[in-house]
Amino acid sequence: MKAVMSMMLGVMTAIGGFVDIGNLVTSGITGARFGMTLTWAVLVGTLGMALFAEMAGRVTAVTRKPIFHVVRERLGVRMSVVNAGASTLLNVLTLAAELGGVSLVLQMVTGISYLIWVPLAGLFAWLVIWRMPFGWMENIFGLLGLGLIVFVVALFRLPTNWPAMWHQAVNPGVPAGQPAPTWWFYAVTLIGACIVPYQVIFFSSGGREEGWTSKSMTEMRVNAFIGFPLGGLLSLAIMAAAVPVLEPAGIQVSHLNQVAVPVAAALGRAGLAIVFVSFFAATFAAAAESGLSSGYSVAQYMGWSWGKRHPPGAAARFHLVCLASVIAATAFTLTTIDPVTVTIFAVVLGAAAVPLTYFPIVIVANDARLMGERVNRRWANAAGTFFMLIMVVVSLASLPLLLLTKAGQ
Amino acid sequence: MTRWDEDEFTANDLLLDRELIDSRGMPAGRVDDLELTVPGPGEPPVLTALLCGPTAFGPRLGGRLGTWWQAIGRRLRPVTDSYPNRIVVELVDHVDRLEITLLTPRENLDSYRFRQWAEEKVIGRIPGSTK
Repeated sequence: MKAVMSMMLGVMTAIGGFVDIGNLVTSGITGARFGMTLTWAVLVGTLGMALFAEMAGRVTAVTRKPIFHVVRERLGVRMSVVNAGASTLLNVLTLAAELGGVSLVLQMVTGISYLIWVPLAGLFAWLVIWRMPFGWMENIFGLLGLGLIVFVVALFRLPTNWPAMWHQAVNPGVPAGQPAPTWWFYAVTLIGACIVPYQVIFFSSGGREEGWTSKSMTEMRVNAFIGFPLGGLLSLAIMAAAVPVLEPAGIQVSHLNQVAVPVAAALGRAGLAIVFVSFFAATFAAAAESGLSSGYSVAQYMGWSWGKRHPPGAAARFHLVCLASVIAATAFTLTTIDPVTVTIFAVVLGAAAVPLTYFPIVIVANDARLMGERVNRRWANAAGTFFMLIMVVVSLASLPLLLLTKAGQ
Repeated sequence: MTRWDEDEFTANDLLLDRELIDSRGMPAGRVDDLELTVPGPGEPPVLTALLCGPTAFGPRLGGRLGTWWQAIGRRLRPVTDSYPNRIVVELVDHVDRLEITLLTPRENLDSYRFRQWAEEKVIGRIPGSTK
């Protein structure tokens, strides 16, 4: 019974943890602009994330090595320094986007400019990194993030045209009057919002923090194969809720509060309150996790002691990197750069960087001498290789599309 | 005497870039380079030490970044000699596919200085760093 309960808790936190500022922004924008025609991109991204996380989690559970150990040992010192550097910069950019998201939510609630909230959000994210036990951090914010289910509820209260949305979802194509490159660009952002490098770094390093072994395989797989897809479903619900409300009104989403409008229209103040709490939890948890992930990647690359299971004094360099990342991201957000734009850039660059961490994990998951009987099965290799190809195409397409569409305008 | 899990292997396979674990199970850095010594004329070289730290890591990175890394490392050293920190092979306990374990706690290694600095000058001064 206790095992079942803990597994359910794991799934629920995985659902809440899957959705962050990237999913909120990209789902809202695409639902309002393209209807459900980009459903396939969320499905591709979610499936890719589940496969990637399962492989990374399995490697960590069996070898006790999270992702950046493996990266340095497999790619060699030169290639992997590029990799660790790129990932860390990306984590800081994501952290800036999440801090912007947290502050925007607080602005919506209090009416006080988000810039006032940015330093406080940074300070509290750092305090969570510094002191809060790992399990608490995952559970509290993961469960609060589940409040996003109000988007599903809202769908049933809104004049949702289910057959038309289903038709769009199964017959994807560029909607009339929309430029094709922009549609493809947003497809890349949706995939990038689902397969986020920091989430995989966090998932595999978190497994080490919680002391996963080969026996934890079921728990880990349930999180990756049930929790993450349900999180992907929540992203789709956010997209779908925008269709009956924002699309007919011709509203182009350029601010986080517009993403919440469908719930306000369907469920009034109570719904809106739940949205604010879950937006806050989702972005705040992601802020702490992306900050930690900077520390994880640098410390694992260098072979320093890392993680929240040590007192900060025993993992001093790891905490130094986390602290520096939070300060850098806070400063970056305080430049008044639009947090929604930062989010778009973060997910696109994230999509471009996925092969850097995905490729070494596939290699190690195939190494029978390290993995023993937990080596990749044939289906896992077929699926893993297929997604590697997709991610290479996405990665190559992302930057040209970013420039061509001027970030989706 | 060092225990080796495998009889025949390449440096890339089991030594270079591998994680070092000290005698108390704490991470103690990575193997940045190797020191091989020729014991006498005509004899094959033998492994005498694992090398760690920026002055070993920089040259392996190569390029401008490697030169910078090495230069920074050299300037921060307490001694003028730029030879990297050595972990003599006698201190190595066990080498396997996962990691390299040492016979000494990491506090005794020369490569420990940056950690000490980070702890004493920054992290240790923030309240709540010891629990």
